[in-house]
Amino acid sequence: MNRLPWWMGGILMSGLLLMTFSIFGADRPIGASTYVPFFAGLVFDLDPEKYTYLKEIKNAGSWEGIMLLGSLFGGFIVSVFLTKTFRLSLVPTGWKKYKNNSVLSRLFWSFISGFIMIIGARLAGGCTSGHFMSGMSQMAISAMIFGAVVMITLVITGRLFYNTKEN
Amino acid sequence: MQIIVKTAGDDFASRMAQMFEDVIHQGHGSLVLVFLIGIIFGGIIQYTRVDKFEKIAGFAMLKDTIVPKMLFLTVGITSIGLYFMIEAGGAHYHVKPIIWQGLIIGGVLFGASMAIFGKCPGTGPVSIAEGRIDVLVGAIGGLLGGLVFTLYYEDFFKPLMGESSGKLTLPEFFPGHEHMVVLIFGVVVSLIAIAIPKVEMFDEADLCKLPDDQRPDRN
Repeated sequence: MNRLPWWMGGILMSGLLLMTFSIFGADRPIGASTYVPFFAGLVFDLDPEKYTYLKEIKNAGSWEGIMLLGSLFGGFIVSVFLTKTFRLSLVPTGWKKYKNNSVLSRLFWSFISGFIMIIGARLAGGCTSGHFMSGMSQMAISAMIFGAVVMITLVITGRLFYNTKEN
Repeated sequence: MQIIVKTAGDDFASRMAQMFEDVIHQGHGSLVLVFLIGIIFGGIIQYTRVDKFEKIAGFAMLKDTIVPKMLFLTVGITSIGLYFMIEAGGAHYHVKPIIWQGLIIGGVLFGASMAIFGKCPGTGPVSIAEGRIDVLVGAIGGLLGGLVFTLYYEDFFKPLMGESSGKLTLPEFFPGHEHMVVLIFGVVVSLIAIAIPKVEMFDEADLCKLPDDQRPDRN
């Protein structure tokens, strides 16, 4: 299990953010949730002329779509050659320990939470990357509101959803 | 051999090609650079292991603090660097508007699903890339979420988000002291990152590959 310490990750990630923000880089923030409705438009063959939302996200969606392809590639290469963690798996260890051993339960909750997560991100106009990292780095008030609400709900849900006391 | 790329059609392949074309023409970095940003983004997330269920859901259970430590440090360093880059004309602000209802309802939905999923939209693809099938199923759910949002955007979601109260940043509250506010913000957020006690939830599936004396949970 090779891995980088958290502070190294933070330094590298801020280097990447600054490069992306720079006019010599991409002159825009990093975001990672607009690509989802963008790809939904492609996969379900929605006419981009007919749906206002698809028109609004056309540029951001394409940009993040390419970034996503890069991040799949980067994640794959690093998991195979550096962290050596690539393996097909269905249920995370932590789920088995604090929730249950059922594959069906994990897949069901993944599906539901994935569905709700994208609706939530699009309502708020961003996710961990767009709001928390890029937004807070600009000291945007919108990002601070989102960050605070997410942190509080995250911890409350963690308390209610998992059996954290038994172990 | 001739390769023909159709970009005028509206079938799936042409629309994928249009995505590439769009990025080439929108002036936010070359295609190669955007792809490279993605590779580095995914690489950092994978190499620090913050895409793991044990890290994100672990934080929700307050049994792991690597994710907030790394997030806060990233924000602390970037906020100072970015502010002076903008002052020097090397970058621009891209501030998102304050849409109270959207931010709060969206934040609640996002936080709750992040605790259950143990992923977010940026870390999910990195987990799929390391072979996590449960996350792939979640991504299909997400794709349907994106579909529903697009279909009912005007009738339901846009009114639900409410009106924008404009774009605002913290230094704007302290006119004349912007530099000081930025420095204090950056330093305080970085110190918070360092001050958050480091607790970790380990994954036995990773640990069992290590020799006994190198296991971080045994010393």
